[in-house]
Amino acid sequence: MKIEFWGQEFKVNLAIGIPGAFLIAVASSMFGFGGGPFMVPLMAVGLRLPMYVIVGSSLLAIFFNTLMGSFRHYGFGNFDLIFFVIMFPAAIIGGYIGPKIAKRLNPVVVKRVACVGLLILALQLLGVF
Amino acid sequence: MNKRFFLSLLISALSVLIFIYPPQSLGQSQKDNQLSQTQEAKEEPAPRPEVFLEIDKKSLKNGGIIMITGKVPEGKPVYIEIWTDEKVRATRLDAEVDKETGKRPYIFYMTDEMPAFYNLLFPKEFSDVLESEKQLGRKWSVSTLLRNTGATTVFDAPAQAKIDRYQTTLWASIIGSRGELLPPMDKSENKRRAMQLVKAKFRDLPVVFKATIEINPDGTFKVPVELPSNAPPGKYYVVAKVDKDLKSEKVVFENTVSFPSVYLDNAGRTVNLFIPFFLTMAITTFGVLMGAGGGFILNPILVMLGLPHTVVAGTVMPTVLFSQGSGIINYSRIKFISWQLGVTLGLAMLAGGFIGPKLTELITLDQYKFLFGWVLIILAALMFWQTTPKYLEKNKKEQAILKEFQRRAQEATQKKEEGGK
Repeated sequence: MKIEFWGQEFKVNLAIGIPGAFLIAVASSMFGFGGGPFMVPLMAVGLRLPMYVIVGSSLLAIFFNTLMGSFRHYGFGNFDLIFFVIMFPAAIIGGYIGPKIAKRLNPVVVKRVACVGLLILALQLLGVF
Repeated sequence: MNKRFFLSLLISALSVLIFIYPPQSLGQSQKDNQLSQTQEAKEEPAPRPEVFLEIDKKSLKNGGIIMITGKVPEGKPVYIEIWTDEKVRATRLDAEVDKETGKRPYIFYMTDEMPAFYNLLFPKEFSDVLESEKQLGRKWSVSTLLRNTGATTVFDAPAQAKIDRYQTTLWASIIGSRGELLPPMDKSENKRRAMQLVKAKFRDLPVVFKATIEINPDGTFKVPVELPSNAPPGKYYVVAKVDKDLKSEKVVFENTVSFPSVYLDNAGRTVNLFIPFFLTMAITTFGVLMGAGGGFILNPILVMLGLPHTVVAGTVMPTVLFSQGSGIINYSRIKFISWQLGVTLGLAMLAGGFIGPKLTELITLDQYKFLFGWVLIILAALMFWQTTPKYLEKNKKEQAILKEFQRRAQEATQKKEEGGK
């Protein structure tokens, strides 16, 4: 598929894009996370698209997944209204504070810290310690 | 902008409070009615008090300890069942190889009537039996435990739950259905499945089964029961049983939950509302910083706190809908979205999002943790890759181009708007 973006033309390999997006959607709706950190590498490395094409379009793609996943979870009775009402304002506040702090921090350091944190969490989930 | 933001925040916080703590008067009077009705019904029969029990408190606040005393005929064992009115869902996929046929049945058992709190207490002499069953780790079985303690006939409250069973197939899972609803089970089969669902719901043996009853030679007994702070509010029933027929009257007590604790009725647990609130706030803030949604860190932590993975997945997902939506609006305003690309990949993700939530229900908490653990390892690797010098150099150029394009896009939009005026 060919797409046009701000006067430039890009070839998108759908044989990689569609199965990849599908699998990421299955996993992320199953576990209940967004899927962005997997979609961005898929589009950057798998589809060889530049970052300025990815940022907006990946968000749009993920939105489809989140919308469908939310409806389906609701249908299966996995949605707890009170729990949602507690977390929703907290998520909005977090999304408001985050960008304000982001300017003052070195993103590389943040990512390395996140890396270590994720590994610890992963090992805990796997029951290593 | 700021003013409006905080105003809307205040309004939403207020509506949250009103929603969680509705004016009590209406619901209360109804509850009182019910209570007096059951008390009237209780006074009618007057059987021989061969087995009786008493409790030292009629009400608890956010859990606590209740002392149960009573008497059974001399030399008999006594079992005490405690359960609550509050019902919660329990599910289990039976995928273990059937010993007779050698096939995996793939039957999905589900009930919405599992008591949200259930305890079965044994005399102290059975503590060895409980301990040895506990040693089996995840392979412990409710039915074996009950058989070894002679308590199969007294296990009753969870067995009253109506259990539906579905024949699950791979195809049914793909089209997102639970499968074919099989005919209802008879009473003894229902009870056997209820035992498995008790384990699926409460997971750890000591949460449900405790050998704590002290019995004196004359048949009097005494046992303290701790209702944990995460127990649901509502009415609780206590019954002392010697066997199926010889049992005491139902004794009722009530647990109330007050601020800042709230009961999550789909999760079947009471939580301090500040814990998920501040956790979500801190993690989404950090999520923004690391450029990944908060769900990756939030979900495993919430699951570790003891909330069911189905409810965690199903409730965290919609919380990001709005931030994603506003992001899309912002990008589309400056025409920074390739709709063709986004919708094409989006349709593939739509199909994936249809299937995923069904799978959440089919897997156990342990499988959820295991798979999530590997997902996090992959994510950590991706994060690490994004901090390698090669990536950073490439990213620097790309970010510069990105900024340039964004600037041009913004300018173009502005011009257009001005032209429109």
